[in-house]
Amino acid sequence: MAKARALDKRRKSVRNIRKITRTMELIATARFKKAMDRAHAATAYTKRMTALVADLAHSGLDVDHPLLVERPTTERATLLVLTGNRGLCGGYNSNVLRLALARLTELQTTIPQLRVEVSGKRGLAAFKFRGLAVDECFTHFEDKPTFGEVDVLATRYLEEYLAGRLDRLDVAYTKFQSVSRQIATVETLLPLGSLAEGPVDERASRKQYEFLPSAASILEEVVPTSFKIKLFKCFLDAAVSEQVARMVAMKSATENADGLIKMLSMTYNRARQSQITSEILDVLGGVEALKSS
Amino acid sequence: MAGASERILECVIVTPEATVLEHPAQFVVVPLYDGELGIAPGHTPLIGRLGFGEMRLTEGNRTWRFYIDGGFVQVADNVISVLTPRAIAAEKLDTAVIGEQLQTVQTRPANSPETLAARERSIAQSRAQLRVARHAGGRPATSAAH
Repeated sequence: MAKARALDKRRKSVRNIRKITRTMELIATARFKKAMDRAHAATAYTKRMTALVADLAHSGLDVDHPLLVERPTTERATLLVLTGNRGLCGGYNSNVLRLALARLTELQTTIPQLRVEVSGKRGLAAFKFRGLAVDECFTHFEDKPTFGEVDVLATRYLEEYLAGRLDRLDVAYTKFQSVSRQIATVETLLPLGSLAEGPVDERASRKQYEFLPSAASILEEVVPTSFKIKLFKCFLDAAVSEQVARMVAMKSATENADGLIKMLSMTYNRARQSQITSEILDVLGGVEALKSS
Repeated sequence: MAGASERILECVIVTPEATVLEHPAQFVVVPLYDGELGIAPGHTPLIGRLGFGEMRLTEGNRTWRFYIDGGFVQVADNVISVLTPRAIAAEKLDTAVIGEQLQTVQTRPANSPETLAARERSIAQSRAQLRVARHAGGRPATSAAH
C-alpha cells in the first residue's frame, strides 16, 4: 500500500510542476512574440538609417567623426554585460557570462582602467559569487527595453567617450539570429569603426541629395544616433533571446514532466495491481483456512 | 481635387520602437533644426536634420499633428521618411503634465557644461511639446497660424 501511495504523491507533484512549466512556456511564447515585433520595428528604423548613411557617404562626404576613429592607446574601457533578471531559461545567462568573463580577463591584462557594468540580476549574482567588482548595475531592463531607457545609458557613454573618460566600450549579449539560433557574443561598440553595414542598395544611393543644413552637420548627428540604435538593438536582441531561451527550456521541461508522469503512472498501476492481487490471495487463503477447519 | 490628388506623398514616421505612421499625404510640414519646412509632391531629394517641434500631415481636409523629437528627414521619390527617437501624436500630449515636467527640468541644478547642455535640451524639448499641445488643442485642424 505504502509504495503505491508514495508513487501517486510523486506523480501529483510532477503534475503540479508540469502545470508551472507549461504556463511559463506559454507566457514566454507570448512575450517572445511581443519582443519579436519590437525587434522588427527597430529593424525598420535601422534599415532606413543605413540607407541614409549610404546616401551620405555617396555624396562624396568624408565620413570622419571622433566616434569612428580608434584611439592609439586604450586606457579606459567599459564592459557592459546584458543578462536576464530571472533564471529558468536554459543556458541563456551562463553562455553570456562565460563569454563576458573570458573577455574580462583578456581586457584586464591590457587595459589599466576597466569598468564593469552589468544588467540583470542573474549577471550580478554571478559576479558576486566570483567575487568580482561591478561598477554599475541595472535591473530595470525587462522583456521590453524602451528606447528612452537605453538612450540614457547611450548618452552617458557618448559623453564619457567624447570627454576622453572612455576609450572603448564592449557589450556582451546574446545575439538573436533566428528562433532556433541565438549566439552569445561580445561586440565592441565604441569606437564604432564603420557606419555602413550590410549590402547597400545601389539604385537608391545614386540619387543626388540636398542637405539641410549641410552634410557635415547631418553626419555629426547621424553617428551618435547610429551608436544609440546599435546599443538599443543589443538590448532588444538580448530580450528576444531570453524569451526564446525560456520558451525552449520550459518546453523541454514540460515534455520531460510528461514522460515522467507516464512512467510513474505505469509503475503506480503495477504496484496497485500487485497489491490487489496479494489482497485477493490473502482473502482466498483465509477462506481456504476456514473451510479446512 | 481629382487631378491634384494623383501626385501624393507617402509619409513614414519611424522610431526605434515602432513605425508610428505610414500614410499618404498631399502636404507635409516637418520641423527642421532651424524652422519649419513644407514638402509638397515632387520635392527635390533631401536629407535634413530635424529639431524639436510639430510635424503636420495634410490629406484631403484632415490634418495629423505629431510632436517630433529631433532626428532626420529624408525625401526621395515622393516618399518622406522621418527617423526620430520619439514621435507623439499631438492629441496625446497633456499640457498639464508637460508644464510640470518643464518646471522640474528648469529647477534642476546644472553645474557643469554637460549638465547645462542636457538641461537646455530638456527645456527646449518640453517647450516644443507644450507648443505642439497648445497648437493642437487651440483650434480644429484646418489652417495652421503661428
